[in-house]
Amino acid sequence: MSGATGGTAPHTAPRHRVVITGLGVVTSIGTGVDAFADGLRAGRSGAKPIGAFDTTGFAYSNACEITDFDPEEWLRDMAADELGRAAQFAVAGSRMAVADAGLTEDDVRARRTLVSVGTTDGESRDLDHLIGLQVTEGEDRLDATVARRVWPGRLSAGIVRELGLEDVETVTVPTACAAGNYAVGSGYDAISSGDVEMALCGGADALCRKTFTGFYRLGTIAPDVCRPFDADRQGILTGEGAGILLMESLESALGRGARIYAEVLGYGLSCDASHPVAPDRDSIARCITAAHRNAGIEASDVDFISAHGTGTKANDVTEVGAIRQVFGDELPRTVSIKSMIGHTMGAASALAAAACSLALREGFIPPTINHRTTDPECAVDCVPNEAVEARLRVVQNNGLAFGGNNAVLMLGHWDENATETLPADATAAA
Amino acid sequence: MTTQIADLSTERKAEIKEIVCDILELELDEVTDISLFKEEHDADSLRTIEILASMERNFGLVLEQAELSRMVNLAGVYAVVAEAEGK
Repeated sequence: MSGATGGTAPHTAPRHRVVITGLGVVTSIGTGVDAFADGLRAGRSGAKPIGAFDTTGFAYSNACEITDFDPEEWLRDMAADELGRAAQFAVAGSRMAVADAGLTEDDVRARRTLVSVGTTDGESRDLDHLIGLQVTEGEDRLDATVARRVWPGRLSAGIVRELGLEDVETVTVPTACAAGNYAVGSGYDAISSGDVEMALCGGADALCRKTFTGFYRLGTIAPDVCRPFDADRQGILTGEGAGILLMESLESALGRGARIYAEVLGYGLSCDASHPVAPDRDSIARCITAAHRNAGIEASDVDFISAHGTGTKANDVTEVGAIRQVFGDELPRTVSIKSMIGHTMGAASALAAAACSLALREGFIPPTINHRTTDPECAVDCVPNEAVEARLRVVQNNGLAFGGNNAVLMLGHWDENATETLPADATAAA
Repeated sequence: MTTQIADLSTERKAEIKEIVCDILELELDEVTDISLFKEEHDADSLRTIEILASMERNFGLVLEQAELSRMVNLAGVYAVVAEAEGK
């Protein structure tokens, strides 16, 4: 956390700087880092009528569903039916991240690693199926293969099994819609403290009837598309996918000449538990401040915020209120990629972290699409409808979850030209 | 509203009260027509949504989410259900 001040020796061993060198993404606007980056730049929309389950009885039923995912393309060791859809996404994302980092699975296997995957629903899609069977066929007709894969631990354990990792800590983080940031934060801690050399961290979730119905019943599903920060916003579209980040220490990345997307500067958490679903402005503000402190930056350093930005009435007003509480009147541009890929639940902040990494590396800010008129109650420059080019230094990625589980991640630009003149004490805390 | 709203039958009111008490985990005699779910019975907004959903399911109605703001006590629920049944 905080380093020693003015010449005083640090209390602990020097911490390692942490960088992101590989991205694996499965989304409704593109699978694989190139397709995802193109989709973000183009402001593509993943919205479509739901095909994953029967939507009879719902007045409207769009979601950002992935319709072109084939698990067989990614699974080499495990049979596809050993994993639920969320775990399949997570494993596919991990394979992509490893390859994108210029590594092989043997390279990863040779290092001490952490695999940490966040989720909201785990394999609730399988639970939907099993309960459907119970209702229509009777108690004793459960599908054993499906029942075996419901355990949410398989989201991370599936990655470990598929990559054949042995010297590894395996964690599934169930902190709902902020879980991706929690997982990336845990990777940051594990690498910076020297516990592990490499980490595969992120989040995964699959579209399921239970969650769609729950949000629908709360009155928070948009009838057509998701319009964050818009005066006429009507809610979320549920989404699905996985975002997995391959993270390693700066020394490791420089040592192997890896391409660096971004540096993880730090993160903040707040758990207020004040209400099951309503966000708490003060708690979000505390979380943002904690993230800035942990990253050693000031609010004025932030070049853009990737908001939680669900597009519900409550979230956008409360979130922008919290940002205002910390930033004052000068708000950085604040965008929501949920306008494009929907609310991917436990994958949301991980996919947003991947988007921020691409933005930092390539120098652009993804747009908030479907935008017409900004709501004065949550007035931000949301980069409406079209991406903009921008030189970025520091980016903030918000993840806010039910139950008051908040996690804010800070990412920084990595200047390749600076690597030659890296100071000898570069491993000291930033 | 110019529509004439028929008052609910005693039986229908009793049915509604029973459902509401079941959701709020209260005895029938703890709730009056005007006692407030949130302020007096410690109900959060999710319970109110559950009440709305139960009205739809039990009586075959479709209720606007906006009606939640009126469903603050039994009298409010009676009124919303009566209006919906009158349509």
